[in-house]
Amino acid sequence: MVLAIKAENLKVGFLLEEEVLWAVKGVDLAVEEGTTLCIIGESGCGKSTLASAIAGTLPPYAVTSGKLRIYDRVLINGDVRNYNGVRGRITAYIPQNPGTSLNPFMTIEDHFYYVLKSIFGINRKDSRRIAIEALSRVDLDSSILEKYPHELSGGMQQRVLIALALSTNAKILIADEPTSSIDAYLKFQVVKLIGKLQRELNKTLIVITHDLVTTSTICDDIAIMYAGRIVELGGREDIVLNPRHPYTKMLLEVSPIPGIRKPLKHISGEPPNLGVEITGCPFYERCPYRIEICKQEPQIWEIGEQHTSSCWRAREAPWL
Amino acid sequence: MTISLNYLLRRLALAFFIVIGVIVFSYTLILATPGDPAVKWAGRPRGPGAEKAIELARRELGLDKPIYIQVVLFIYNFFTGNLGHSIAYKGQPVFDLVVMRFMSTLELTLLAYIISIPVAFNLGLQSALKRGSNLDNLIQSVSVVLASTPSYWLAILLLLFTLMISTSLGISMPVYGTVSPKLEVETGFELITGSYLLDSLIQGNILIFVDALLRMILPAIAISLYPIGALTRLTRILVAESLLEDYVKASIALGVKREILIKHFVLRSITPSFIQVAGLSFTYSLIDAMIVESIFGRRGLGDLLISALYSADFKIAVTLLALLAVFYVVVNTVVDILQAIIDPRVRL
Amino acid sequence: MERGLIGIIQRASRKTRFKAGLALSSLILILAVVALYIVPFPQDALGYVPRNVEARRLLPPSGDFLFGTDHLGRDLFSRVIMGARTALIQVLTVTIISLLLGIIVGVTAAYFRGLIETLLNYFVEVFMPLPAVVIALVLRLALGSGIHVVILALVSTWWAWYARITYVYARGIVELDYVVLAKLVGLSNIKVISRHVVLNIIQPLVVQAITDMGGVLLEAASINFLGLGLEPGSPEWGVMLYEALFYAGGVEAVVKAPWLVVFPGLFLLLTILGFSLLGDCLREEIDPRLRRRWRLWF
Repeated sequence: MVLAIKAENLKVGFLLEEEVLWAVKGVDLAVEEGTTLCIIGESGCGKSTLASAIAGTLPPYAVTSGKLRIYDRVLINGDVRNYNGVRGRITAYIPQNPGTSLNPFMTIEDHFYYVLKSIFGINRKDSRRIAIEALSRVDLDSSILEKYPHELSGGMQQRVLIALALSTNAKILIADEPTSSIDAYLKFQVVKLIGKLQRELNKTLIVITHDLVTTSTICDDIAIMYAGRIVELGGREDIVLNPRHPYTKMLLEVSPIPGIRKPLKHISGEPPNLGVEITGCPFYERCPYRIEICKQEPQIWEIGEQHTSSCWRAREAPWL
Repeated sequence: MTISLNYLLRRLALAFFIVIGVIVFSYTLILATPGDPAVKWAGRPRGPGAEKAIELARRELGLDKPIYIQVVLFIYNFFTGNLGHSIAYKGQPVFDLVVMRFMSTLELTLLAYIISIPVAFNLGLQSALKRGSNLDNLIQSVSVVLASTPSYWLAILLLLFTLMISTSLGISMPVYGTVSPKLEVETGFELITGSYLLDSLIQGNILIFVDALLRMILPAIAISLYPIGALTRLTRILVAESLLEDYVKASIALGVKREILIKHFVLRSITPSFIQVAGLSFTYSLIDAMIVESIFGRRGLGDLLISALYSADFKIAVTLLALLAVFYVVVNTVVDILQAIIDPRVRL
Repeated sequence: MERGLIGIIQRASRKTRFKAGLALSSLILILAVVALYIVPFPQDALGYVPRNVEARRLLPPSGDFLFGTDHLGRDLFSRVIMGARTALIQVLTVTIISLLLGIIVGVTAAYFRGLIETLLNYFVEVFMPLPAVVIALVLRLALGSGIHVVILALVSTWWAWYARITYVYARGIVELDYVVLAKLVGLSNIKVISRHVVLNIIQPLVVQAITDMGGVLLEAASINFLGLGLEPGSPEWGVMLYEALFYAGGVEAVVKAPWLVVFPGLFLLLTILGFSLLGDCLREEIDPRLRRRWRLWF
């Protein structure tokens, strides 16, 4: 079993106005090659920052600690980051906003050309060939190539971005909120497409999302993030059927699951702001199952095989 | 990257109406300022022949006719280049005179811009790429100083400096005037369009070409200060902004190389705005050039202005005003249309 | 972080360029105010020719005459310092009048829309292309020399600039809900305009005006440099340059007496620089796009 991604106590923060605001507060991950991991959480939980750390899009004013490895390459070691030869070659990023993530001054063909030329040094003819092949995998016609981004619909733009990521032949794909800018009835389609591609091409896929329902259909593993930490991590069935963290349980309750009639609850309160220092369990304020010991910093406990949770009451799980 | 005919027509129509407005305003100045318009137009003549000159002016402007006819007549005369004869330059038709001198000033300003644009672009680019570094701060400070320096002051200093050098070395340097009068006579050079470089090329007169070019260098440097300062700052901001765009971030994540990013991504995105600002400031620099010309004793709009002042040549003054304003409108319209063509986001 | 003017000034003042700009502008302002009182040769400053002209002409800088003397024996230092006063008078007059005119026209066009809007915008478009220097020429021929030529010529071009800026800003504001509501509730138009519209746009306008003051001064000096505005002898930097070149005996004479051009021009440069730096820094604080100040991806 080859580990595509391994993170050890990874912390990522941002240096703003001489203060560091930590977005990712100590994350441990081990992602096997050829599997799909969904990182799920509300806005502001740090999942996008984590994705940036893997994809190599951290801004220069970022501060890091801990370790992040991709295959045998060390990307992050303490505050030293090195992504040379990784971006586009080993990792490929599918950005969140398709509308603004394509260069409005270039045709789609140009987009492929410059990426492929940077990575493989090939000429226009070859890049066109690869582009057509990649586009066909996302059900797009080669006529797209002459168009400018603003001439395409949002859905098509996103598929172009997926195709771009595929064309690099990178082994790790990172999809940042792939369903956020999609209309509800299309969400399943996009997710299915991504899942299909992952299986066909045997990529390692990381999906960042707040949409538990749609994305969980393609995940092998799910990581639930809250306030910069992974509060529960496990296989898909484990998480959905046997959630061992109250937050996970709540996420499941508030998500409509097609085919099942159940009352939709809502979670009161809001996640803590980025950078706020918290002692004890970060979910304390909103947790209906909190007890005295929760004021202490929780550790990571193993519940089952490859299933961890950082809730003091994970073993008893009164919410089940 | 095509624009609709609709847009083109609308833009041209707008430009046309503004041009008309400008010409009307210029005419208003003749009427609205103190004094008899005919007297002003005739250049406040004195002595014998003054009566006749004033009568002629009255007929030229059609002052006996109702006002709207006067305005229309003036507009018509302007477009046909028929604005009477200059007082300062006895007998020469005003319009042709102004246009010829305009060409000379124009070529000088163009030279200044040919110098400024690459310099400003490179400085701005380096400044933005190394944002926050010492180089960036230096370039920023220098640009602001350059943009704040009066070009005519620098022109004087440059001239002083070269004169000091040439007197101490005992040689004569070609810095003053537009061409060497001796050379002009010897090679039989004639002005056709008013642009020395162009005309010398047309006549195959390389000596004059080189001589004229040399004499343009110092004034062009003085004029180029402001565009260099302003355009450097503009480029810096444009580049910095474009590098913060989502699509640049996405491209970096896919491994696009730095050189490609700069050459293709940044360049393309800043070109429309750069052209627009450069176009707007061109007319400003043209006016600057007029003033610098008068210091270097060049033959152009600058000394036309001075002559008009001394001879109370109202015709030149009004024609100059209208022509420069029209030029500004034309340049802006061209730049706007160009920008619409180049920028694929602009859907028309 | 404070949003208002205080906050902006606080944040801007951390930058050295701001401090430099503030220092220069304040210096010129102070000089302008106290010029009459501190200048060693006030008569010279105002243009009067001293009696011992021959002995005093074209003396290089010395203990008595810090910047030397000009071709009529007048102390250049006094004249240059007094020039700060003239410069500020010209700039402030032009800026204030143009701002007022521009705001009135811009707000009216944005608020009342329709035919008024089109008409006013047309006027703005017609006046924007006019070069102030050439208007000054026409005015000079018609009105004779004097400061009125400078002021009129500059106002007639700058008002359009401010009118356009005001219009653009005001357009953004009048569409805002609370303005529409105020109108509906029945507040008289004037009240709505003054309270809601104008107050919102004053801040960026003032910052723009400060940045522009350098350009206004440059143009004013240009007009005077061409002999179109103030008479020779007036304590104005442009006029002094004009006198140096055309009255003192041309470039050959200036080569031997460079102080005639160096000092007036230097002060001109420093004043323009001061305003530009000040305005630039303030503008950076206001414009959200320019606020991010970190290094980039490379």
